[in-house]
Amino acid sequence: MIHEAAIRFERARVVYANGAVGLAGVDLSIAPGEFVVVVGSSGAGKSTLLRAVNGLTPLTAGSVAVHGQPVPRKEGRELRQLRAQVGMIFQDFRITRRLTVMTNVLVGRVAHVPGWRAMLNLWPEADREIAFRALERVGITDKAWVRAGDLSGGQQQRVGIARALAQEPAIILADEPVASLDPVTTHQIMRDLVRINQELGITTVVNLHFLDLARRYGQRIIGLRAGEVVYDGSASTVTQNDFRHIYGRDPDAGDVLDEDAAP
Amino acid sequence: MNDVFTRPPRPARNWALIIGAVTAVTLMTWWSGRGIGFSLTELACNLPGGSRLLVESWPPEFSYFPRLLAPLLETLQIAVVGTVIGGILAVPVAVLAARNLTPGFLVWFVDRNFMNILRTLPDLFWAMLFAAAVGFGPIAGALALTVFTIAVISKLWSESLEAINMGVPEAVRASGGSWLQMLQFGAIPQALPHYVSYALYAFELNVRASMILGLVGAGGIGMVLETQRSTFEYPRVTLIVLCVLVIVLIIEQVSESIRRRLI
Ligand SMILES: Nc1ncnc2c1ncn2[C@@H]1O[C@H](COP(=O)(O)OP(=O)(O)O)[C@@H](O)[C@H]1O
Ligand SMILES: [Mg+2]
Repeated sequence: MIHEAAIRFERARVVYANGAVGLAGVDLSIAPGEFVVVVGSSGAGKSTLLRAVNGLTPLTAGSVAVHGQPVPRKEGRELRQLRAQVGMIFQDFRITRRLTVMTNVLVGRVAHVPGWRAMLNLWPEADREIAFRALERVGITDKAWVRAGDLSGGQQQRVGIARALAQEPAIILADEPVASLDPVTTHQIMRDLVRINQELGITTVVNLHFLDLARRYGQRIIGLRAGEVVYDGSASTVTQNDFRHIYGRDPDAGDVLDEDAAP
Repeated sequence: MNDVFTRPPRPARNWALIIGAVTAVTLMTWWSGRGIGFSLTELACNLPGGSRLLVESWPPEFSYFPRLLAPLLETLQIAVVGTVIGGILAVPVAVLAARNLTPGFLVWFVDRNFMNILRTLPDLFWAMLFAAAVGFGPIAGALALTVFTIAVISKLWSESLEAINMGVPEAVRASGGSWLQMLQFGAIPQALPHYVSYALYAFELNVRASMILGLVGAGGIGMVLETQRSTFEYPRVTLIVLCVLVIVLIIEQVSESIRRRLI
């Protein structure tokens, strides 16, 4: 067999019920272990692209496959098994504030333990160990028994990352993971993601709004515009002109995190 | 174009609507009062009769108290059993009736109507129904309060569930979680304080209701109240009413302080 893509889109289309076009025919292949940054202005289809990979948003035409297996369009056991190998990180963290950090991270194990064990909160020791190692990897082991809502924004996002890591996933999808964080925390979280990609070899796709972050942390940059891939290339060779093409306008101070390093 | 600093004239009041509404309410009250033969003069004429009843009822017969202990305890037990069983059964009823959590339209529709029927029929109706089915006594009372509790909690709580943030439930799904796990780890924790609050509220209502239920033979203090009233033992009736008043006040205070700590 030839090298199988971690994620492969073929003529993938998403048209929402209200007629809005999320993806307008995307052909894309992401190799195992790649660190890909997706950029594009608001409404370009970045979230739709990520959510198609784990079936949160089903395609309306075309196909998307994860490690050669087509993503089912209907909820069910097959889709749950696929999702178990794909971790997702969100802009708004999406952790339960009133539960402990540990419980939030163990949610990453739901697809791996018998249903009754999760139901009764009787997690196997091995799964608790996996959760602890996930917390170690993002450096908040000491917070394991703290209420998640009592943590700072950066720490809450680390809980989100630890939950994804607890899945022991082959792929991590991060949808604007730093958009609600301050600049210092932003760089810490981005470095965490890059380090995890390098140490564990997890294929990582990150949606970013800021161009300087994309250039600094991405290996490969994919530019989306109106649901289409309009740029696909190395982060080291992307030019000002490419960004102008992706955004359909001149990038300005609002498109970079560090204003000093404005393009 | 209009200058944004121009103050718009105050819109005229809709006098026709105001006068119409006041007239309608007045007429309806007059018509209803006439219908049930309500008259202030007659009320005034009957006041002496009412005050004679009050005089006869005072002072309460405190020596009767020891014989009230067992039925009072039974009343509380009826309320506890009804609240606990009803509280548990209300969980699925509420979840299936919440638009954002229900697995399908048909389930939602059936459950909604089931809830409405439970709520439309009064607790006395259920008490009489169960008294006919399982015989007069505390079991009938507990069953009636179970139904009443389901009706109260499911209606209120399904609205709390509809108001939760759906981000975390979606994150649980994205980790490969099933519908039940989405509920357990994503949805229910957010609305748990509301649930406890409504369960306490239902308990308060149940203690009060278990007095009335006794009137139709569903056990507890209400049955004693009914026998004493029908044999004109008014000082005993006064004592019973005082006891229930004190118990209800205590329970209200306790549950109010628990509730304040929760939210
Ligand atoms: N749930 C939805 N229902 C309807 N339209 C949607 C929905 N989600 C996204 N869209 C539309 O699809 C397009 C792409 O959105 P999205 O993928 O969220 O873009 P991005 O993440 O790049 O901002 C936009 O036009 C947006 O309005
Ligand atoms: Mg988005």
